[in-house]
Amino acid sequence: MKVANRKCIRRLSMKSMKATGTRNLIAIFAIALTTLLFTSLFTIALSINDAIQQANFRQAGGWSHGGFKYLTQQQFDEIKTDPLIKQYGLRRFVGRPEGPPFLKSHVEIGYSDVNQAHWMYCDPVEGHLPVEGTNEAATDTQVLELLGVEPILGSEFTLTFDVDGTEVTEAFILSGWWEYDKAIVANHVLLPHSRAQAIYHKVGIGDSIGNDGITGSWNMDVMLGSSLNIEGDLGRILTNHGYQGEGRSAGNNYISVGINWGYSGAQITDSLDAATVIAIVGLLLIITLTGYLIIYNVFQISVSNDIRFYGLLKTIGTTGRQLHRIILQQALLLSLIGIPLGLLMGYGVGVKLTPVITSLLNGVVQETVSASPLIFIGSGFFALVTVMISCHRPGRMAAKVSPLEAVRYTEGESNKKMIRKVQSGASLSKMAWANLGRNRGKTIITVSSLSLAVLLFNMTVTFTNGFDMDKYLARNVASDFIVADAGHFQTGVFWDSHRALPEDVISSLKSQPGIAAGGRVYGKSSPVEEFVTEEYYRTKNGRWNDEETLDHAVNFMEKNQQGLLADRVQLYGMEPYVLDKLTMLQGDLSKLSDSGGRYVAAVYSDDDYGNPQMDSHWARLGSTVTLRYITAYEYYDPNTGEILNPSHIPDDRPYRYRAKTYQDIDYEVVALIIVPYSLSYRYYGADEFVMNHQTFLQDSDTSNVIYYACDVRDEKTADMEAFLSDLTNHRMPQLDYESKATYAAEFDAFRNMFLMLGGVLSFIVGLVGILNFLNAILTSILTRRRELAMLQSIGMTGRQLKGMLIWEGLYYALGALTVSAALSIVAGSLLSNVLASVFWFFTYRFTLLPLLLVAPIFTLLGIGVPLSVYHVVSKRSIVERLREAE
Amino acid sequence: MTILQTHDLKKIYGTGENTVNALAGVNLEVKQGEFVAIVGTSGSGKSTLLHMLGGLDRPTSGRVTVDGKDIFSLKDEALTIFRRRKIGFVFQNYNLVPVLSVYQNIVLPIQLDGNMPDANYVESIIETLGLQSKLQSLPNNLSGGQQQRVAIARALSAKPAIILADEPTGNLDSRTSQDVLGLLKVTSRKFVQTIVMITHNEEIAQLADRIVRIEDGLIVDR
Repeated sequence: MKVANRKCIRRLSMKSMKATGTRNLIAIFAIALTTLLFTSLFTIALSINDAIQQANFRQAGGWSHGGFKYLTQQQFDEIKTDPLIKQYGLRRFVGRPEGPPFLKSHVEIGYSDVNQAHWMYCDPVEGHLPVEGTNEAATDTQVLELLGVEPILGSEFTLTFDVDGTEVTEAFILSGWWEYDKAIVANHVLLPHSRAQAIYHKVGIGDSIGNDGITGSWNMDVMLGSSLNIEGDLGRILTNHGYQGEGRSAGNNYISVGINWGYSGAQITDSLDAATVIAIVGLLLIITLTGYLIIYNVFQISVSNDIRFYGLLKTIGTTGRQLHRIILQQALLLSLIGIPLGLLMGYGVGVKLTPVITSLLNGVVQETVSASPLIFIGSGFFALVTVMISCHRPGRMAAKVSPLEAVRYTEGESNKKMIRKVQSGASLSKMAWANLGRNRGKTIITVSSLSLAVLLFNMTVTFTNGFDMDKYLARNVASDFIVADAGHFQTGVFWDSHRALPEDVISSLKSQPGIAAGGRVYGKSSPVEEFVTEEYYRTKNGRWNDEETLDHAVNFMEKNQQGLLADRVQLYGMEPYVLDKLTMLQGDLSKLSDSGGRYVAAVYSDDDYGNPQMDSHWARLGSTVTLRYITAYEYYDPNTGEILNPSHIPDDRPYRYRAKTYQDIDYEVVALIIVPYSLSYRYYGADEFVMNHQTFLQDSDTSNVIYYACDVRDEKTADMEAFLSDLTNHRMPQLDYESKATYAAEFDAFRNMFLMLGGVLSFIVGLVGILNFLNAILTSILTRRRELAMLQSIGMTGRQLKGMLIWEGLYYALGALTVSAALSIVAGSLLSNVLASVFWFFTYRFTLLPLLLVAPIFTLLGIGVPLSVYHVVSKRSIVERLREAE
Repeated sequence: MTILQTHDLKKIYGTGENTVNALAGVNLEVKQGEFVAIVGTSGSGKSTLLHMLGGLDRPTSGRVTVDGKDIFSLKDEALTIFRRRKIGFVFQNYNLVPVLSVYQNIVLPIQLDGNMPDANYVESIIETLGLQSKLQSLPNNLSGGQQQRVAIARALSAKPAIILADEPTGNLDSRTSQDVLGLLKVTSRKFVQTIVMITHNEEIAQLADRIVRIEDGLIVDR
């Protein structure tokens, strides 16, 4: 039977809501706080994800989804109409200046339309993109600086560059410029299309494509409907027009496609490891639990207070379901106010906290704060779910109320025959204890929510306290100072001769006062190979590559007569100072120090905890290793044996390469060692050997220094720091340095981030707990107004009454402290193992200090809250209170 | 010996046109050991009178003397202490403390005073009221009549000068009412207790030694 009673129910729920002002306020506040927690969590998480994605795009050079390369104009016009393409941009490459002053930079000259320029971060901060038909050009501040041109619109500059093998010199007028971004690999000089075409004609390419297959071609970057399946979508577009992207060998209708790896590299699922996922899920659970604890408590208390009212409603014919709905409606209405409030506040908190975290991520990550609607939808949703879960039981309680019992109901009544085996009388503290027992659920929840905050706080402190600076420094810092090319300290940058540390820098370092000891480490910048078994090669690389890739690689590699594979090695030539810093596993280094001796140490890896991995190298003590120093390679066709010209290998022709001119030298392995990370190349993937610097210089015939490391006497450390800071920031910005102090600061920042995040979380959870406590005390005093008056009427003085209420408050505080202490001890010992395995520099140190800090606060609350609530209540006379609610 | 005396007791609620003369000058005298019933219709002022007698509410003017002491000369805190030593209350709705056992409820006023209960005396009250088997129960597990008997025991336990009973049988059926009143009267005799009871029920009032009628805030008849 369906009756139109919704309106009536709604009216009832509105009316009964109006009668509970305090509860509504507390509930709204609770909902807002819960939402705040969710929102700030989502804001931080998404902001970091955005930041990582942005960094990926900048490294990838742009943020278009992908593109089609080396098209003809006709192909371009054909494909651009495809409905799968939401937006497209045109890029035509003209040339690259390679001579001075661009020796160290990758500068591209070409035409990009508005879309494409925007996607490549070429947005002029001043001026505009070059106008068609003029000799304007736009570029970034670094190109201008290298050219020695001030970034002033209208400045003239000339560039000499290579266009498909022909050198041209052109003059331009600066129409716009943008800031140089060191994370973006290529610098661009953008020309108008008319100018690009003029240059093509000048060098004889005309409207066709140059010999290199690139110059003069039409390249299309596209934005698709979504980034979920870029590869598939690009393939479908090609198929739609009768092309394929498989390969030249699959037919002449091949078009090369490019996929922006920034998208796949930045998917949340890819970039997050298990630990992060667990952390986020854990946080979500804690927040839900916190929210549940208070919202549930607020409604539970309010329902039990109004139980007579619900009983009455039931007596006159309201069904259980309708009562349930009344509760739910009230909760939803309160959410309507609480959730938006929480979203706003939470976003504010998130925005404030995000920079703290991103500042610790890789240096190329810019501060981005996400304002994705996902944050608000997600947080709102989670908050609402929490509210619904929280109201479920109170709703059921109201629904199940029996009309007769409800009228008789007093808090704490149970159907069980309760017997008190206390022969002694009642003291204030015992009465207070008994009062807490009336509504065990309420007491437990209040105590738990208070405990949760303390537990979180204690865990945060234990966690950050456990970060062991000594462990961290011992592993990371082998020398007081390390100076090298800036790229050496960045991940993803491979060292080569361009990054060699100039000798004059080293001598100026050596002349600094206070240098106690120091040494160079030379690196091999031309190819060196060793010969390894295929099995070893496959085992070593199998960790990172699948079977297919390995097959391909093995097939491609040069083999010697014994069938061993020629594999790349990384060589170190170390001066004695650095040799002394190596970790010895087996053998001894004394032979290595013989100048000119043909001895090497094989470099093994270790894990973060310093345990050597004995399968990380093939060489054993006494092994002989033959190193092949290669000065030239040659390319050949494996089928015909024909030698090929490496700069003109046709796409459809299979080729291999092999060493053409080289020198083989045998060495004896005299030691197995570990190179501390900070003294290494800082990237892996090839077997490594260490020799002394004389042997290295003599055999490799190169003398490029990777870095110079030194120790400085304590009193001069600050001077050295200042000297290096000035050197690397002003005089030679291409250099960078690391010092003990940098590491210590990095470590502190890392620790402080956790302390701050944990602190904020604990604070908010604590606020929720206190709110819960306030609510529990408030309602317990309000509902007992008459009982308290009665106690006074039979002779309990105000002092005694207050004493009893304070006891109740103190029991809550004491309970919360006891429970959190117990939980902290348990959780601490459980978590310490997990944490020690996640953070290698973690040492568990038990502490209950936070608890001691919180204890006085709780004690004050335990005394203050009941007193102030009672103060309000006691304003009315005993007689008034005795009469009420009868 | 006069144990309770009021002198021109007045209580005026509200101001101006809304003024209500709840008590318009009551003079009442109760002797030790007397069982007095104060009868009146609702709104007659009988409850107000009882609250004044018990020191729960302060009069607009006039005096109340209990055991020779002008109770309203005392400050609130002192008045409360005086009340728990000299006055026992029995309420219509029992007003027991739900978290305390029957025994704890009974001895509560003594303990609030920081004293040890007089075991023999308390035992004899419990016996008289027939509560021996219920001492460890919680009030909510008892019937109305049993709860009221606990309330009477509690009122007696501190050996007060007077017991004030406010419609003690108002929530009970007539049979239980008879039992409770009987017990009230028996204890009054046995422990030489002065009892002042208010009721609107003439029949119940008949059990008292003396009936005082109150109408519009004034004592009528005598």
